[in-house]
Amino acid sequence: MITIKAKTVVKGVVRGEALVSHIPISFRGGVDSNTGIVVEPGHELEGQCIAGKILVFPMGKGSTTGSWQFYEIYKQGKVPKGIVNIRADGVVAVSAVITGTPMVHNPEQDPFQYIKTGDMVTINADEGYIQIE
Amino acid sequence: MYLRENEIDLIEGKYGRGPQRCMEILTAVGECYDAERMVPVTSVHIAGNYGNIRDGGLQWLEDLVRDGGRVKVFTTKNPEMFDFEDADELPVPEIYREKQKMMDDVLRALGVTLTYSCHHYLVGNVPRFGDHIAWASSGSGVYANSIIGARSNRDGDHTVIAAAVTGVIPEYGLHLSHNRKGQVIIKTDNLNIADYNHADFQAMAWELGKKVRDRIPVFDDLPPDIVIQNLKAILYTLTVTGTVGLVHFVGVTPEAPTIEAACGGDAGSLEKISITQKDVEQAYREISSSSDEKVDLVIFGCPQCSIQEIGEVVDLLEGKKIHSETQLWICTSNWVKTLCKRMGYLEKIKAAGGRIVADIGAADGPHIYLRPQGVRVIAINSARGSYYSHNSYKMETWFGSTKACVQAAIAGKWRGYR
Repeated sequence: MITIKAKTVVKGVVRGEALVSHIPISFRGGVDSNTGIVVEPGHELEGQCIAGKILVFPMGKGSTTGSWQFYEIYKQGKVPKGIVNIRADGVVAVSAVITGTPMVHNPEQDPFQYIKTGDMVTINADEGYIQIE
Repeated sequence: MYLRENEIDLIEGKYGRGPQRCMEILTAVGECYDAERMVPVTSVHIAGNYGNIRDGGLQWLEDLVRDGGRVKVFTTKNPEMFDFEDADELPVPEIYREKQKMMDDVLRALGVTLTYSCHHYLVGNVPRFGDHIAWASSGSGVYANSIIGARSNRDGDHTVIAAAVTGVIPEYGLHLSHNRKGQVIIKTDNLNIADYNHADFQAMAWELGKKVRDRIPVFDDLPPDIVIQNLKAILYTLTVTGTVGLVHFVGVTPEAPTIEAACGGDAGSLEKISITQKDVEQAYREISSSSDEKVDLVIFGCPQCSIQEIGEVVDLLEGKKIHSETQLWICTSNWVKTLCKRMGYLEKIKAAGGRIVADIGAADGPHIYLRPQGVRVIAINSARGSYYSHNSYKMETWFGSTKACVQAAIAGKWRGYR
């Protein structure tokens, strides 16, 4: 069990399967809001669904309307269980805030060294850490 | 986070649930960035249109108004789906007329000025150097920071709406001088910049955005006479492939009279990024997503066309006719459309078989009804527009220069870069 301290964006404790992207994600244009499937051509996660996952990615990118898209994904029940970012972009941060999706950023160690897609990961955003099983 | 008395009143619900919710959003965002306090904003701009807000978002806005949310700060709004003046002619399905009417109503009730423009900085929403502002629409934000020197983070719509209602924004990121220093130097000396057109600059920026990621790039070797249209080409594209909020163009950006000023002194120690002409050519292929030559629609206006850009299309179309199976749309603001009438551009474009449409942008607004009407392959002179119309509305896109797009409109086929 590895524990990495991180800064809380939205409180909450969630455990789930990790889905890891080493490149930024745009929720506007990059993810289908009805299905939660990544649709950006050539994206590392193209064709994969973010619903119910612990979504680990460096940061958001692209349009600032991403928070509407994320809200729609939330309305469709396809949001990730929790989010780990290296540095939260303002669009992703407010997306987590309005949907109450537990989220941390600024981890003290590089999460990409420890987390692979499929790993079981807990985000404890109440106390500010992530744990990899 | 330190809150002033009025901000505490807001968060305690003294002004109602709507303003309270807005203050909660801002403190949550502020705390995640360790902001110490809020700062007043002088200008707000909202990005989303019905196509990306959808019913869930419309409801969110209606709830905010019902719960007492009203903007305190001058607030403008990005393009929507159509111009009511042209709704019959376009033609816009009844369902979207209803939805846009609902958008109009809720935004008006919120106190937003219905500009429906993404070049709001050309038509009345003009901050001053050093102003704290909250501008969503990633292209507008980077324009404000880089060309005007006003200060905006890459805020999501919900953050800027909260700022409009409360009048404040958490002070972090690009609101603070020490976070506005250049972090990476862009070298363009191995590219044929002197021959670059508007599309070439976008292809260049497409590739650069991937390498810049969320850092602040400094361009110090662009030609001093580079026109604003080409600076916009760079800025608006960098925000698609990168997470860029501020770009220093040495000699143009108010905070960057010299490279030292741009970087806060230590330019020599910064990473340098350069790309090759091959990378730029590869970017062209990557931006286009179509393989079908036949073009259904040529569309200009991401961001909305300025009067100069429309003049350029008018000149290219002089004495020509648009192909009978191809449409040509020029998207702009209502102000510029009015100017087009006065300049005779509206008549000229109409005579050639095209149309000038106000209140929409070329990236998304109209695609929500055009795609079901059988428009599948589009030609566009915006990399940003290509990306969003393909990924959000499944349009197949050709990306190229204004000239290549006009030629496609005349021939009905894409003959440009591929």
